[in-house]
Amino acid sequence: MASYMSMGEAHRRITEYLNRFADVVAYQDGTSLKHLLSLSSESSSFLALADALNLFQDANRLIRQADKYSQYAEIVAPLFRAMQSYRVGRLAESYQAFEKSANAFIQEFRNWESAWALEALYVVVYEIRVLAERADRELASNGKTPEKLKAAGSFLMKVFGVLAGKGPKRVGALYVTCQLFKVYFKLGTVHLCRSVIRSIETARIFDFEEFPVRDKVTYMYYTGRLEVLNENFSAADHKLSYALTHCDPQSEANIRMILKYLVPVKLSIGILPKRSLLEKYNLIEYNDIVLAMKRGDLRLLRHALEEHEDRFLRSGVYLVLEKLELQVYQRLVKKIYIIQKQKDPSKAHQIKLEVIVKALKWLEMEMDLDEVECIMSILIYKNLVKGYFAHKSKVAVLSKQDPFPKLNGKPINS
Amino acid sequence: MFHTVSASGFYVMERWQPPRGRRGRGRGSYSSSSSSRSNDSRPSKASNYATTTSKTTSLGSFGINNKQHNNDVESLPNLIGTCPFMCPVDERVQRERLRDLAIFERLEGNPTKSSSTLAVKKFCRTISTKDIRDVDMRPVHVLEDTLNYLLTIFESGKHPFEVVHDFIFDRTRSIRQDLSMQSITSGDQAVHMFERIIEFHIVSHYKLRRNTTDSNVSPMHHLNLEQLTKALASLYHLYDENRKSNPGYANEPKFYSFYVLLHLGSDHQPTGESLSLWFRTLPYSIAKSKEMMFSRRLLRYFRFGNYKRFLHTTEAEASRLQYYIIEPYVSEIRATGLSCLNYGGYKQHPYPLSDLSKHLFLDESDVESFCKDCGLETFTSDTGTKFMPTKQTSFCHPKGSRKHYPLVSKRLKPFYDEVPYRI
Repeated sequence: MASYMSMGEAHRRITEYLNRFADVVAYQDGTSLKHLLSLSSESSSFLALADALNLFQDANRLIRQADKYSQYAEIVAPLFRAMQSYRVGRLAESYQAFEKSANAFIQEFRNWESAWALEALYVVVYEIRVLAERADRELASNGKTPEKLKAAGSFLMKVFGVLAGKGPKRVGALYVTCQLFKVYFKLGTVHLCRSVIRSIETARIFDFEEFPVRDKVTYMYYTGRLEVLNENFSAADHKLSYALTHCDPQSEANIRMILKYLVPVKLSIGILPKRSLLEKYNLIEYNDIVLAMKRGDLRLLRHALEEHEDRFLRSGVYLVLEKLELQVYQRLVKKIYIIQKQKDPSKAHQIKLEVIVKALKWLEMEMDLDEVECIMSILIYKNLVKGYFAHKSKVAVLSKQDPFPKLNGKPINS
Repeated sequence: MFHTVSASGFYVMERWQPPRGRRGRGRGSYSSSSSSRSNDSRPSKASNYATTTSKTTSLGSFGINNKQHNNDVESLPNLIGTCPFMCPVDERVQRERLRDLAIFERLEGNPTKSSSTLAVKKFCRTISTKDIRDVDMRPVHVLEDTLNYLLTIFESGKHPFEVVHDFIFDRTRSIRQDLSMQSITSGDQAVHMFERIIEFHIVSHYKLRRNTTDSNVSPMHHLNLEQLTKALASLYHLYDENRKSNPGYANEPKFYSFYVLLHLGSDHQPTGESLSLWFRTLPYSIAKSKEMMFSRRLLRYFRFGNYKRFLHTTEAEASRLQYYIIEPYVSEIRATGLSCLNYGGYKQHPYPLSDLSKHLFLDESDVESFCKDCGLETFTSDTGTKFMPTKQTSFCHPKGSRKHYPLVSKRLKPFYDEVPYRI
């Protein structure tokens, strides 16, 4: 509790809020309404109001006192309870009450013709997610099953349904979608994203271009991440690049988040970022990997993967980075070719498998001739090397023209 | 009497019984859940085996994610079984009357007569939770004894394998159902039972594939794989639930490694759960375990196409059960290897079959027919040496499971000679 508050003052604060609420709705002032609903902002006025409610204890009586605001009892009464619980740190209870209030709010929202309250809806949706996350943390720390975030997901699907109509409210659907993505990613139930993606991308009522830029960026970021998880590199490149180009250039944190996934994707299609980029956005975990690709240094690649193994596994890019091995082998063979070319240009295109074995040994990697032949045959098959290998003479013969085709932004065919 | 608290938060009374005779792996008295949960006055939804959060598995088309409510596993928080037999009396009597007794359940071969030591409760698909009586549910110790009994039958090998498999498949599914419906999510017994049931599914996964003569993988094999993945998902859920009170079960790395090995192949559909997603929530200590590192290495080799390391590592390190899962991929990577060698090999240097035998761990006598399965010709030279010409354009992946070419290996040989395996 903050400073001492009298009953009179508590009474005043509560009725002040109620009047404000009613006025704001009557005037269809969406911007003001959203401020009245944002619990987690913990603004001083909210904290004071919560204290007032906890002191006064019988806010319901006040709500019923005037028709002006008693009509919003279904929204405000549980909202008050949510604030009270929040203030005393009972987050699961707070979520429960807030969901009730939000439900009533959605019913009203449905009836309002225009989209004036969309901003306020965004706040409600945001609060649902954030309160649910905190509630689950509280439940888990008390040894109970965390289930509020899952409930929040169901609730948000309902909200999505309300917005998925022909009217002007539909531009809010992408925001709700993004909140759902955040919920599903947090819960690990990522497959649930599929149905809402399908709705956004195939329903005729939605025109992607109509949505606010901020939401489009977030949407492409999450769907891009899904493509990374499924190793669809072209699609991932397209979506994450979209997010990057349309992202607010001032928002360094967001750019960093996008790059965290875009860098491995670009690497997979043979595009290497500058070191300065990685350092600017603090993505130095990719430094050694880029270096390994430039040098053809397999040992360095393996080492880099191991050093940041936990981090790469958590973000879901480990398997993507592991695949870069192919390109590193290509680079190694190319370097041998370049060295040979300097010594004797006429013979450069013939590489004895023995030489590759030696090079690998120098990198502390033991490999016999048979395995090198195996690797060469794969590189040739996947068009990373143009040429053939002569089994009897244990030599790889490279094409005189363009023996190491560049990927040119296309993923390696499997 | 002592109290244990079920996952739903209700206090639940379990009758203590002295350790019974046949206990299989020798479990003593019950282990109570050591985590104390506060008494929640509102009934929260009990943990549900099929609705996993982080560990949903989906092997291609199996998709056992939480979208559909899984009919197998509706659970009732208060239900504690009291049926002392492997099969509830009423069910046995009814099935005797209807002549619905499996071979193993018939008393002296009589299709209308069974006994309490022979009848085993069947899996029931459409069970309405309202009608469940506690006399129809088997408590944990009975389920354990039932599983022991079933696995003895599985090992005995007196009947054709498919008949045995079918029976065990159904009856173990019923065990899993009883476990879920009673919300038994804590304690070593449930974990151990799931582990053993999964081992059964893995052995069947291998044997059904070997026994099938038609080129299409039989529906039985497909269904078995489906239940294998479901049981794995349930097991991971149990591991997760128990992680708070337990430092970790000894077998965890082994059973997590199975998941990776099941997902080696290129038949992974883009819409299924990706391995990358699965790895996100895997505890790091598990990811670094010996078994997981083994399967992760195999995964790397397989995705790269490095048949040499893949086959060599499998030969040197795979356990029996791991091998049973890996085996289909042996064929795939051999074919890929052959394809690459054929594609990149110098036309004037046909590839000696003896070398192929070495690289692909194929018996020399099998190389020719394997090449043929892949649509590739071979020839014999004047000196009698056999070769495969390169740059052939007729390569194709062998369809279905035609002939089985086991990995040439002294160490692995006992595994595919079908020496009985004690689960």
